[in-house]
Amino acid sequence: MTNIAELLETAGLTGRGGAAFSTAIKLKAARENGAELIVNACDGELGAAKDAWIVAHHLHELIDGAALVAGGRRPHIRYAAHRGSRTAGLLASAGLPVLEVPHRYVSSEETALISLAQGGLAKPMTKRAPFVFGGRDSQGRKVPPTVVLNAETVWRVSQIHRLGAEWFRSFGTSAEPGPRLVAVGGHVARPGMYEASAGVALSDLLDSAGGLPPDARHVGVGGLGGVVLTAAEARSTIWETPGMKRHGGALGPGIVTVWNPAECPIETAARMISYGAGESAGQCGPCMFGMPALAADWTDLARNPTGKGRDHLLLRLSQLERRGACAHPDGVARFAQSALRTLAPEFAAHANHACQKGHKRHAQFV
Amino acid sequence: MPSSSEAARIAVDRVLCTGHGVCAQTLPGAIVLDEWGYPVLRHEAVEPEAAALAVKLCPARALYLR
Ligand SMILES: Cc1cc2nc3c(=O)[nH]c(=O)nc-3n(C[C@H](O)[C@H](O)[C@H](O)COP(=O)(O)O)c2cc1C
Ligand code: SF4
Ligand code: SF4
Repeated sequence: MTNIAELLETAGLTGRGGAAFSTAIKLKAARENGAELIVNACDGELGAAKDAWIVAHHLHELIDGAALVAGGRRPHIRYAAHRGSRTAGLLASAGLPVLEVPHRYVSSEETALISLAQGGLAKPMTKRAPFVFGGRDSQGRKVPPTVVLNAETVWRVSQIHRLGAEWFRSFGTSAEPGPRLVAVGGHVARPGMYEASAGVALSDLLDSAGGLPPDARHVGVGGLGGVVLTAAEARSTIWETPGMKRHGGALGPGIVTVWNPAECPIETAARMISYGAGESAGQCGPCMFGMPALAADWTDLARNPTGKGRDHLLLRLSQLERRGACAHPDGVARFAQSALRTLAPEFAAHANHACQKGHKRHAQFV
Repeated sequence: MPSSSEAARIAVDRVLCTGHGVCAQTLPGAIVLDEWGYPVLRHEAVEPEAAALAVKLCPARALYLR
């Protein structure tokens, strides 16, 4: 057991589900507590597709990785995928135990999966302590030790086991080693799954998908929990934590989306924020009330951009930080904050009634 | 604010919290309420005795120490 944990530590593998926490530390805690394993193959973030790709193309390596993580003679492993999805179907046909997850944005958050696995609702739980140690939900029901790992993380475990830590470290930067899957989508010629690594230029990443089209104006990185950059920023940004941090972002769960230039970007952001507000699990007051209020404030600001409205929105954002049982409000607040900054010229145009897109509303998601 | 060695760290179980706002009175300074009556933690470190009392008086049993 120490061997695999040590190997992962040497390799420097971090979680590919978004939070980038050390997988070696999670694995050690999981083994010490005899934790059940849930492999998160939900691709819950807007634009995410990598975990479905792994299940479709590397299922055997995924299964190997899960066995390596779980250890023991009779490991308790479940695979989480959205109910009725192709991924859930593929996992079930391979004879694997599937945790069928409802199609809601927050239902693939780790403690929502743990709650669902225990027969509860797919809603996040308060983490009084990490559930890898076991614990209780808010109602006092016992929860056995459980660890949740992203499917790409588990797949990388099997690769590292087979090819070695040195192989893994031959990709990426020394601080953020290893290959990473990135779903490049939206307004590009060849949307799809690409393998990249930290330290590549965002423009190179986009080039593999056909390049950033000349009419593109904005590029989203990380979906609804991520940030949005101007096309010029995207051309000069290095895809690694220091480069993304400059824009308030992170590597996140491997998603790059070129926004549709035919739509007013303030409306694109509004649509995403409203979607996020509707996806609050309605458990925590600051999220249940704060998220719809944020969506309303954004719409007001789009119609009537004033300094006062902007300050009000910034206060609203600060009140969403670390005030939910899960990080959903933090993610949407991060996105809104970034969009507010990046779309400053568009807000100014709205103030002058010069929005060229005429505030068109579209029904579909990005 | 007490020094961190003797201080307790207060936290809110957001799923349980019903926004009664009692905590803003039991821990004035550390907790203020937002426009809907839900607590905003201005700092986590609080005096242990006050923290214990606030935990006891929260009607939703939503306050806890870490
Ligand atoms: C609202 C929300 C949705 C999430 N959805 C996913 C998801 O679909 N897949 C995933 O791997 N992680 C998702 N996460 C992150 C998980 O909670 C968790 O951090 C991750 O599965 C841990 O795996 P890792 O350490 O391998 O990254 C989500 C988090 C939040 C706050
Ligand atoms: S923060 Fe929001 S989405 Fe997360 S558990 Fe609470 S109510 Fe649900
Ligand atoms: S006293 Fe308890 S229920 Fe009331 S606002 Fe404070 S934490 Fe929430």
